[in-house]
Amino acid sequence: MSFLAPLFFVALAALAIPVLIHLIQREKKQVVRFPSLMFVQRVPYKSVRRRRIHNWLLLMVRLTALALIVLAFSRPFLQRDDLNTAVGTGAREVVVLLDQSYSMAYGDHWDRARAAAQNVINTLGPDDRASVVLFSSGAEIALRSAAPGERQRLAAAITAAKPGAGATRYAPALKVAGSILADTSLPRREVVLISDFQRGGWRGEEGARLPEGTTVTPVAISGAAEAANVAVTGISLARSTFSNQERVAVTAVAVNRSMRSLRGGQLSLEFGGRSIQSKPLDVEANSSASVTFDPVTVAGTFMRGSVRAGDDALATDNVFHFVVSPVQPVRVIVVDRGGTGGGALYLNRALAIGDAPRFETVSRDQDALSDDDLRRASVVVLNDIAVPAALARRLQRFVEGGGGLFVAIGSRATWSQDVEILPAVLQAPVDRTRGDAARIGALEYGHPVFEPFRAPRSGDFAAARIYGYRTVMPAADAQVLARFDGGAPALLERRIGAGRVLLWASTLDLSWNDFPLKPVYLPFVHRAARHLASYSEPAPWLTVGQVLDTSVGAASQPVSGVVLTPSGRRVAVDEEGAEVLELTEQGFYEVRAQSGDTVNAVVASNVDTAESDLTAMDPKEIVAAATSGGPSGRQAGAAGLPPTPEVQERSQRLWWYVLFIGILLLGADTLISNRMSKA
Amino acid sequence: MSLLASHNPSAIPGARFMDPVVLARIGNLSLVARAVVDGFINGLHKAPYFGASVDFAEHRGYVPGDDIRRVDWRLWARTDRYYVKEYEAESNMNFSVLLDVSKSMDYGSIGITKLDYARMLTACLTNLVHHQRDRVGFIAFDEDVVEHVPPSAKHMETVLHVLDRIKPGRPGRLREPLHKLAEHFGRRGVLVVISDFYEDPETVVDAVTPLRFRGNDLIVFHVLDPAELDFGFSNASAFEDLESGEQMPVVPEAMRKEYISLVRAHVDALQQRFSEVRVDYALLDTSKPLDHALFRFLTGREKKLRLR
Repeated sequence: MSFLAPLFFVALAALAIPVLIHLIQREKKQVVRFPSLMFVQRVPYKSVRRRRIHNWLLLMVRLTALALIVLAFSRPFLQRDDLNTAVGTGAREVVVLLDQSYSMAYGDHWDRARAAAQNVINTLGPDDRASVVLFSSGAEIALRSAAPGERQRLAAAITAAKPGAGATRYAPALKVAGSILADTSLPRREVVLISDFQRGGWRGEEGARLPEGTTVTPVAISGAAEAANVAVTGISLARSTFSNQERVAVTAVAVNRSMRSLRGGQLSLEFGGRSIQSKPLDVEANSSASVTFDPVTVAGTFMRGSVRAGDDALATDNVFHFVVSPVQPVRVIVVDRGGTGGGALYLNRALAIGDAPRFETVSRDQDALSDDDLRRASVVVLNDIAVPAALARRLQRFVEGGGGLFVAIGSRATWSQDVEILPAVLQAPVDRTRGDAARIGALEYGHPVFEPFRAPRSGDFAAARIYGYRTVMPAADAQVLARFDGGAPALLERRIGAGRVLLWASTLDLSWNDFPLKPVYLPFVHRAARHLASYSEPAPWLTVGQVLDTSVGAASQPVSGVVLTPSGRRVAVDEEGAEVLELTEQGFYEVRAQSGDTVNAVVASNVDTAESDLTAMDPKEIVAAATSGGPSGRQAGAAGLPPTPEVQERSQRLWWYVLFIGILLLGADTLISNRMSKA
Repeated sequence: MSLLASHNPSAIPGARFMDPVVLARIGNLSLVARAVVDGFINGLHKAPYFGASVDFAEHRGYVPGDDIRRVDWRLWARTDRYYVKEYEAESNMNFSVLLDVSKSMDYGSIGITKLDYARMLTACLTNLVHHQRDRVGFIAFDEDVVEHVPPSAKHMETVLHVLDRIKPGRPGRLREPLHKLAEHFGRRGVLVVISDFYEDPETVVDAVTPLRFRGNDLIVFHVLDPAELDFGFSNASAFEDLESGEQMPVVPEAMRKEYISLVRAHVDALQQRFSEVRVDYALLDTSKPLDHALFRFLTGREKKLRLR
């Protein structure tokens, strides 16, 4: 039974009026104070009581009539669903959501959480079904809707669970619980949410809504003795070269997220599991400190480093893993006339500068360019040469295999018509030595090459004077990245297979322009080479929950093989199927070849340090968001359509009968009182 | 209906009619007593019952200090001796009012309670007696003696003051306080008992008669409210006893006849028993003027004097 206008129940207070009148009359008007009842008491008692009983009858009739009229005005209507769920009986579908984020390893939290979960299982009724869902950043159903006979399996699932390395997220768990409850046919739905209710795990997510009528019971595991909780939240690597050896200095940041300051702690740097250095660590309450270790020589690839702070109540976040490898230089082949590099002086000088990345430049004559050169190189620069068809085909293969080709065209440059990989067809040169020189304008700042020059005063390309350039006819799929002031394309890009081709419509030396003398020349060359080589800084670490791309750290081609997780599990990764793997553990993942023990890559995986902030939230917030009544879809029929007006009217017609009975009672009241006053 | 319906105030020649309700509003007891009594005495001058207030008693020899105005000059003319005339005045009489101030007296259905009525009656009687230079005293009682003003010629003001101050509070009982008082009145005098006598006639008479033992004249005023006499209630209600607080539901229409007959039997029995022991008994209706009471008192006194 529900009500359309429950506010009318306020009018039930009017029921007090007849009762009050009755009481007042009895107290004030009906009591007569008389000097002595001496004679009154001697009068026989027979005719005295009758009237009061009748009063009671009258009062009850009037009260009932009033209550019925108020009930009618509040518009009662019946709902089928109510019949099932209103009664607090029937079998239950219980979903136990057990937080297994790594913060649950704090103190005795995990033991208490497991005990709470066991307690829920133990209190199940004979007809109840239960599910166990373990969640951290994602949710995993340990056992779905176990029948009454499977209590042992439920208990075993809880016993087998242990805190992982993930961070807390409530929304996925609630969604899983919602899907389990939506499928059930049992009348009562319950969710027991066992967690330490970290503030960081809830962002007021939408969509994490449970079916209507679900009861959510939060079990907060918290309140252990407050101890210092230090987390290593990040490191930075400063590379340097010392007597031809690459060295790296590690700076670690430690955060103390408790109310107690840490004194006399130790922060140690480990490589390959052995402690190399250790530094004292003092962190005030709710603050952070950074510690820089002495530089360490990078001895080989995939050096596994860890920064470790001492032990505390939450040990998981005390260690931070990273992988250091020697920097891989970008190999650039400059193909020049004669192979001396004389025509590419400015280019070579520009590429020789810089550490990140380091460019390894090789000059070759076009005839001396071997396949081996091409295999090792990332970028090939053609500096104003005539390219025959054979070379063009080799370069095509190179580009299609993922290489980058930079073509600078001056007066000598030609290109074989048979191979269509250039962004444009070369045409006649334009001489601007008389009159005003051409300038570069209209840059495509959104492109990675020009992106650093986007901000004002960060590079003036218009300062370069261009005395000669070649007109070109852009290909259909080429993109013009820069134009001369006359509108002719200056720089074009075209993607060929896995690689790219950049075409510069002038020279890279001083023969046709003074561009190499301008400050923007060096960054432009670097950006172009980086872009063509698809260079990206290898990440020293990933975070749990991120996806492991198996090509990470490998040369350039995807790897097929196995991934060895920190816990020693082997996961096969092949080219067809699961090329990606979600990181779920803390430590080092090894990517190995399918056969043999060759290590292709090592990836450090760290826990999400936001989780180490144990600040608790009010569980009611989650309960309210998950159970707040959405738009009432229940009234809709089975097909989800809104009911017709007739159906609505029929389900609400009850008020009319109630009102009718109330009015009848009022009439009866009049009759009774008339009869009584006559008597 | 009312037992006093036959007493028409206008039947008394010259009696000033004053509504006791109006008097009650005046509030000042002294003023009320004087107004009522003055009017009453004026009326008495024309009444046939006016008797000698002072009687000649004897002559005695003059002694220095006597007022020479009291010397009997005729006798001096005959005997050549100074004699002083002495009169037997009634002023050496003790007069006490015994007023019942129990809770049941605090009832009034017409704007004046029985106690107020009795107060004015007491004040009037006291005033009247004081005018005759008799000694006035006053006793208030309920289940015990509450106030006691011994008789004295100077106690008129005290009596009025005490009268004004008393408040009804406790349930009343006649026997204990009256028996106690009966031993107290050593000297002959006039005693007036004012009460509503809510006890058995036997008990009432048994309680009151000892007051007569030392030769006191005893006058009994039975004060009742008209509602107590004719039971003029209409609505069914719970009746609450003023003294005991006990409640009982009552339908007045159904029991009026029986009630009135019971009250009448009670009054008749009292009248009968009091006349047997030669005590003046008068039933007073608080809706009737005070003159009745005074008139009754004085005629009663007159009869007593004649009998003596």
